[in-house]
Amino acid sequence: MKDKTTPKTGWLGLPPLAVGLGAVAAIVVFGWQFLLAESEIAVLGLVALAALGGWALGKTGIQDSLNEAMRSHNRSMNGAILLGLLAVIFLLGEEHFPLLMLTTMLLYMTVALGLNVQFGLTGMVNFAGAAFFGMGAYTSAVLTEHTAVPPLLILVAGGAIAAAIGFLLIVPVVRTAGHYSAVVTIAFGVLFKTFLEVNDVLGGPQGLMVGPMKLFGWDFNSSPMLLGMEMSFYANYALLGGGLAVLAFVLTQRLERSWLGLTLDSVRLDETASACFGLNVVRAKVLAFTFGNVLAGVAGALYGMMISFIAPNSFTFADSLLMVSIVLLGGLGSLWGTALAAAIVVLLPEKLQILQEYRFLLFSGLVILMLLFRPQGLLPRKVRSYFPSWRPQQ
Amino acid sequence: MSDALLEFEGLGKSFGGVRALDGLDMTVKRGEILGLIGPNGSGKTTSFNVVTGIYSPSQGRVRFDGQDITGLSARKVYEAGIARTFQRSRLCLPLSIYDNIMIGNHARLDNGLWFNLINRGALRRQVEEGYEKARELVAGFSGELADRMFEPVGALPMIERRRIEICRALVSGPKLLLLDEPSAGMTHDETAQLMDDILAVRDRMGDLSIIIIEHEMGVIERLTDHCVVLSYGRKISEGSYAQIAADPEVQSAYLGVD
Amino acid sequence: MDIGLLGQYLANGVMLGTMYALVAVGFTLFFGVLDVIKFSHGDVLMLGSFTGFTVYIGVLAMGIENPWLMIAVILLVSIAATAALGALIARYLVLPLKSAPPLNILLITLMLGTAIREAVRLFYPDGSNPKAFPVLLPTASVDLGGFALRADSVILVGAGIAVIIGLNLLINRTRLGLAIRAVAQDEETAKIMGINYTMIVLVTFAIGSGAAAFAGIMNGLYYNEVNFGMGLLLGLIGFSAAIIGGLGNIYGAILGGFLFAGLQTVGAVALPFASAYKDVFAFGVVIALMAWKPTGLIAERSSDRV
Repeated sequence: MKDKTTPKTGWLGLPPLAVGLGAVAAIVVFGWQFLLAESEIAVLGLVALAALGGWALGKTGIQDSLNEAMRSHNRSMNGAILLGLLAVIFLLGEEHFPLLMLTTMLLYMTVALGLNVQFGLTGMVNFAGAAFFGMGAYTSAVLTEHTAVPPLLILVAGGAIAAAIGFLLIVPVVRTAGHYSAVVTIAFGVLFKTFLEVNDVLGGPQGLMVGPMKLFGWDFNSSPMLLGMEMSFYANYALLGGGLAVLAFVLTQRLERSWLGLTLDSVRLDETASACFGLNVVRAKVLAFTFGNVLAGVAGALYGMMISFIAPNSFTFADSLLMVSIVLLGGLGSLWGTALAAAIVVLLPEKLQILQEYRFLLFSGLVILMLLFRPQGLLPRKVRSYFPSWRPQQ
Repeated sequence: MSDALLEFEGLGKSFGGVRALDGLDMTVKRGEILGLIGPNGSGKTTSFNVVTGIYSPSQGRVRFDGQDITGLSARKVYEAGIARTFQRSRLCLPLSIYDNIMIGNHARLDNGLWFNLINRGALRRQVEEGYEKARELVAGFSGELADRMFEPVGALPMIERRRIEICRALVSGPKLLLLDEPSAGMTHDETAQLMDDILAVRDRMGDLSIIIIEHEMGVIERLTDHCVVLSYGRKISEGSYAQIAADPEVQSAYLGVD
Repeated sequence: MDIGLLGQYLANGVMLGTMYALVAVGFTLFFGVLDVIKFSHGDVLMLGSFTGFTVYIGVLAMGIENPWLMIAVILLVSIAATAALGALIARYLVLPLKSAPPLNILLITLMLGTAIREAVRLFYPDGSNPKAFPVLLPTASVDLGGFALRADSVILVGAGIAVIIGLNLLINRTRLGLAIRAVAQDEETAKIMGINYTMIVLVTFAIGSGAAAFAGIMNGLYYNEVNFGMGLLLGLIGFSAAIIGGLGNIYGAILGGFLFAGLQTVGAVALPFASAYKDVFAFGVVIALMAWKPTGLIAERSSDRV
């Protein structure tokens, strides 16, 4: 523990909360502009700015002030972040594509958080993330087109189906070493797309239509009105997707900051010793795997409704690897790292279209470099602090 | 309540062709510190692994506190009241001291999904109570270490890690503590310190029995009430340290037959 | 079903089994020597095939026409190149991560495999389309009461089995093989005994990769096609075969390879309506087998000392 004294004043003599709120505001403005940026020069400029900002964060005292703000003023900061997200959505207003990108990023982030629980905390590699995501999407396709199940329940169903199939997949190998769950999930990840393509019931290679989300009678495919301005219908999905992502983040964070999280860490680091202290290793693994898959399934169900048309081509093994890349780039067990990496992996290729074609190559290359030179990721995980405001040694 | 806490009856364990344990009979009495010694490969750690459920024996039985625990899983053995340390220090290095000790306290902690995710107030109380307990245990070894409960264990030197390992084993209030070569890798002074620590622990926790595997005979001599000597998986001698040290069979097992 | 069709399936199964066994042997060697899963193996195989294809074009351009000579040159160059690549991967990607959690190596090689696959797709001329691998082996076939036994199948299977036997002899009967086995069993002692650890590791990876290149060329000659994605499924199958047979055990790898091919054949016969289902079936059975015998049909080496 390097610094035990609580800095009453942070960077430039400002109270940490001010620095924290300022940072949130800066990120909101940045995100809004980034999503709107059209020319590639603008995008590259903003990326450079972000990189500079990230570097400066560590060098000046801003990083410490931010950490302090998050710890002492947890409620206010969380509220600010939530408001910030809402602000970005409203600022984007009528812009279809930026809102679509933002929501896609939020949904991918949700899946990646689930993967982080499976892999970052519990050590269970899952190379079928996109398959579980796809399961959710296909569930919502089938249920919206053939049944009258209320769409909110369809989201739940997406999660349930993903959980059930994940359970079937992992139970045979749960008592075995890591590379077995790797084989099983790689096989599933590879074969999922093939399975869908030969299955005419599920639309085959052409794919399926998905009905829209409806909440309390409000059809998400219709444009909401705000202050007289007609917003893009994607704003509906952005709000719900944002809510889902926030919920996923909160639950995952609470999971990590609890005895359960400790159990998962212990199982990852030393299964044998864990058993010797009474930990139920099988239960922990199944719980973590299921938790992650539920997140992926729910996110997938909403995703399907949003893009209203899904095909096997969106849920390939390469997409699963992209999701694993998000977790590795951000940092194993690091939730903010996952959020940052999700933004990079999803948004960058969308804004810089040249990268689109090369994105698998690019990100697998980045992960290789990361694993060689900075395996802890972009925002390394910190020592567990169960309750940020609880600091018995200060 | 009988005097015997742990009993091995004709315990055997084979790995392929290798007989690691070959008809081992042994008794550990309530409240005693028993030294388990013998040349490398004589089956000491294997006997620990069999007791704690990591291996199930090929023959024989293990009885603990009157209950037959032969072949029980590691979890069940822990719940019965046996805790251990490992020959190769097995702490979770990236985790904090507090985290590592709390792993040992698993039986007392609520691992339910609702409790951990939703009932945060109750969780906080458990976290705080756990902290008091862990800190007290660590302070018993080192006041200085007790101020660093949230440092990652990987940053600590070996002697501190051994102490944390022992705390982890003690936090659940076990009836029997198995120490596997606790002084390995330590200097003379550190070993002496560790012995004081172990004796103090035994005094503080009245109802604790200890089996200690050691190569360092000074430790055995000072700490133990009774010794058992193993060779090729079976007991070849037992008694006080003075007795077994004088036993010619023990000498030839260690030094070879003339 | 008639004998002819059955014979066809059988011949195909033996062919696939030999290929899978060759790939599986690579996985098992890597795991045996370094306790690592090198998941780029399948894509390295693909690279070997593409190298062979490129060599073919070069050889053709040089005016060589004798098919056997062509095959020899193709094999020589692609095996050498792939072996060298395997050694490079070991030296720069695997060995540096030796002290990291073992899953890191699986991850880094998985990512490397993706990078190789994408690089070929993006940068090889017309990389995203399959390439017609030349017909270099004799196309004669013998009619065995209802099905045609192709001469090239016989040659390929024969060659494949010869290589497998050769690898087996190499590992079990030569001094190099002894050194490899020593390193596989106990790194420290092997080093103390004077074995050049790094060299042996590199050589092992080279051997495994070279065997994969051979399998890749076999694949190309048999199907007369190579494409950038061929390595993924082959690698996955080889990996599963190695696991099912028991990681670290050469006989296990061979057994696993033929077992997987057998399962695929059974699946294809039983579920003729979609070829994808044969893979689902085969993997399903393999997963069930893993649940039943987690350390493999022939036991995997356990390296966890308590």
